[in-house]
Amino acid sequence: MIRFDDVTFVHQNGVRALDGVTLEVRAGETVAIVGENGAGKTTLVKHVTGLLKPASGRVLVDGADTKSSSTAQLSRKVGVAFQNPDHQLFSETVEEEMSFALKNFGFSPDLVANRVSWGLELFGLEEYRKSSPLVLSGGEKKRLTLACILAWDPQVVILDEPTVGQDSIQKEKLAGTIRMLRSTGKTVVVVSHDIEFLWPIQPRVVVMKGGKVVGDGPASEVMQDRELLESARVAQPQLVEFHHWLGRGPERPFVDPLEARRWVEGGMRP
Amino acid sequence: MMWISGGFVFRRGTSAYHKLDPRVKLLISLLMFVATLLVKAVYEMAVVIAFMVAVAAVATVLKRVLRTMAFTALFSAFIFGVNMLATRNLFSSTLYATRFVAIVVSTSLFFITTSPDELEQVMKTFRFPRDIVFAFVTAVRFIPVMMLDTIQIMDAQKSRGLELEKGNILRRVRNMIPILIPLVVNSVVRSGELAEAMESRAYGAVPRPTSLVAYRAGGRDVAVAAAAVLVFALTAYSFYYILPLHLP
Amino acid sequence: MTEILKIDGLSFKYPDSPRKAVSDFDLEIPEGEIVALAGPSGCGKSTLLRTVNGLIPHMYSGDYSGDVLVAGTSVKGSSMRDLAQNVGFLFQNPENQIFMFSVERDVAFGLENLGVPRAEMRKRVDEAIDLLGISSLAQRAPHELSDGQKQRVALAGVLAMRPRLVILDEPMSLLDPKTASELVELVEKLRKELGTTFVVVEHRLDLLVKHADRLVVMSSGRKVIEGSPREVLFGDEAESYGVSVPAVTKVQRMLADDGAVPRDRLMSPPELATAVRGALR
Repeated sequence: MIRFDDVTFVHQNGVRALDGVTLEVRAGETVAIVGENGAGKTTLVKHVTGLLKPASGRVLVDGADTKSSSTAQLSRKVGVAFQNPDHQLFSETVEEEMSFALKNFGFSPDLVANRVSWGLELFGLEEYRKSSPLVLSGGEKKRLTLACILAWDPQVVILDEPTVGQDSIQKEKLAGTIRMLRSTGKTVVVVSHDIEFLWPIQPRVVVMKGGKVVGDGPASEVMQDRELLESARVAQPQLVEFHHWLGRGPERPFVDPLEARRWVEGGMRP
Repeated sequence: MMWISGGFVFRRGTSAYHKLDPRVKLLISLLMFVATLLVKAVYEMAVVIAFMVAVAAVATVLKRVLRTMAFTALFSAFIFGVNMLATRNLFSSTLYATRFVAIVVSTSLFFITTSPDELEQVMKTFRFPRDIVFAFVTAVRFIPVMMLDTIQIMDAQKSRGLELEKGNILRRVRNMIPILIPLVVNSVVRSGELAEAMESRAYGAVPRPTSLVAYRAGGRDVAVAAAAVLVFALTAYSFYYILPLHLP
Repeated sequence: MTEILKIDGLSFKYPDSPRKAVSDFDLEIPEGEIVALAGPSGCGKSTLLRTVNGLIPHMYSGDYSGDVLVAGTSVKGSSMRDLAQNVGFLFQNPENQIFMFSVERDVAFGLENLGVPRAEMRKRVDEAIDLLGISSLAQRAPHELSDGQKQRVALAGVLAMRPRLVILDEPMSLLDPKTASELVELVEKLRKELGTTFVVVEHRLDLLVKHADRLVVMSSGRKVIEGSPREVLFGDEAESYGVSVPAVTKVQRMLADDGAVPRDRLMSPPELATAVRGALR
């Protein structure tokens, strides 16, 4: 679905933000991109929708080179929810905010109305339909931006730091949305620091450091590689750390606290 | 935009000129400015501009200054054209056009070698009210932040299918709305947060705030200032008394 | 023990809001503690913090009743000038609290405003810069700093004023976990070396619980839970208020309920692993 072939990108100030990145994301995968601030995660995302074009190498989205497509064309297939909702909300009402992209993509008025209602309901924003997006709380704004993107039904959804400023209840809902997208066959890419949030979702994990991909594999493998995580300044999920110190445990670390409890209790029963 | 950022925005430098007391740099730029007004002949203007180029070279900003001159030349071509139409006088039209370039360069030399902190110092020397000085400092401080905001907003809207370069002029202007509104909203939010942070750090607590850095003009600054005044005086004198050649 | 902060029956309502943002709030914090403040978004945390450093009622007015005392003095009756020297406030976005063009000048900003003489100011600025390990950045401009560095610069500017109480408003939300844990270690160090009291607003408690003496949970403007992190996180209410209970604490809580591990203190992953190994032997 998305392919990076030896992509290098250098910022104006000379910083090599991407350095020979080769990466393939297949349709239907859920991928987390982790790494410290400045590791190149956001630069990577901007290459997918052609907001940035590689200095060398190439980026293919659904088989098409991003160099020969516009951001508008690419965005039809790849929806990106950027970190700060205040960088995009501008309409008079929530409803209009949601229709903006759909109109840009040439949806028929009927379809627009349809998709908007669907999105508002899915994200529990129905009551704000006629309110200004600016009066929403931080968490609601985040949900609205996600609704805006899902409304045009892109094949790939990219979330850039979706958990920033969210409390645990909101994060739980967000994890539910990601699971729902996965079950409907969407390709989901999550850029996040929030390891504890990512771990129960069990995505494929791509670790970035200094513009390079330094680790790539299932969460259960990558998150057990303490040396790799240490060098990329990525934290280890607590349950994985717990599993590590247990010394002897099941082969795979516990995905959630209940699983850990069951294992311990199983061991205690004679 | 390019013209402004290239010609007037400070970038850190380590030359001896950068290290001069900002008031001396202001004096030199002012003298150069006045010199361009005193000039009555094209060859005199050439002398003044040559002097500016020399200063730019010393300040290691020659490339930027030359680029600014090239950009400015476009405007001055216009001035030249208008003048020629009005006066039919090649001599005075050339003088006006080159004077415009010289004035821009003299101002630019000051701004590109003087940091916002130094500008603040200069404003304080001239007893600008504290609020005005501070408003100026924050404005300069937030230029890069606002530019980054703009890029991020444009990225977000382009990712929602906005095509800035599409349609006729009217459509293009309308296309700016999704960019401008978030930019304004963000700026308003930002200024609110700034105001809170200022209050929390005792802004306005005493009528005469102190300053961490003392800008005291050293011996070298005084010497350079004296030399600048001398060169200016000699040049002005020679323009009027020694070389009244009435060459074109 | 002396209280650095005492909030006594505080209620506050913004003029154009139908309900109180903070309501009947009581809190006493002894000097030198690290206190974590949590709660769902929109629960009134920001408002509460602003009543402590005086932005409410000095900058924002509204219906104010009850009292807030910092080091025994009422916030209402103090000037912003005095408050600024007692209460430091690190706002969420470091970008919007760095004013000057160089780090050093910015750290001095508050002291300049207070009219501190240059020699004294130089000393305090250098101290603050040393304390936060940013000497190498002293001459940098704000746009040349990373988010983590900006956070440190802003904190240095707050500390240079030598406040006895420092408020940190979601200081870690923009930082990656390693940078965030460095910030938490720094807070602990400052508490030890300077005896400063810290109130930290944070959803993510995994990094903070190790050092916090007290955890306060707010909801709809009220204090709903208060206790040591152990008491609060082992209770069953915290999660319903949007507090993230660290995964390892959830495991410990369940195993402690079964009697497999002790519940007398919060355990880190290696500690819990050791306890479990002991139980399984």
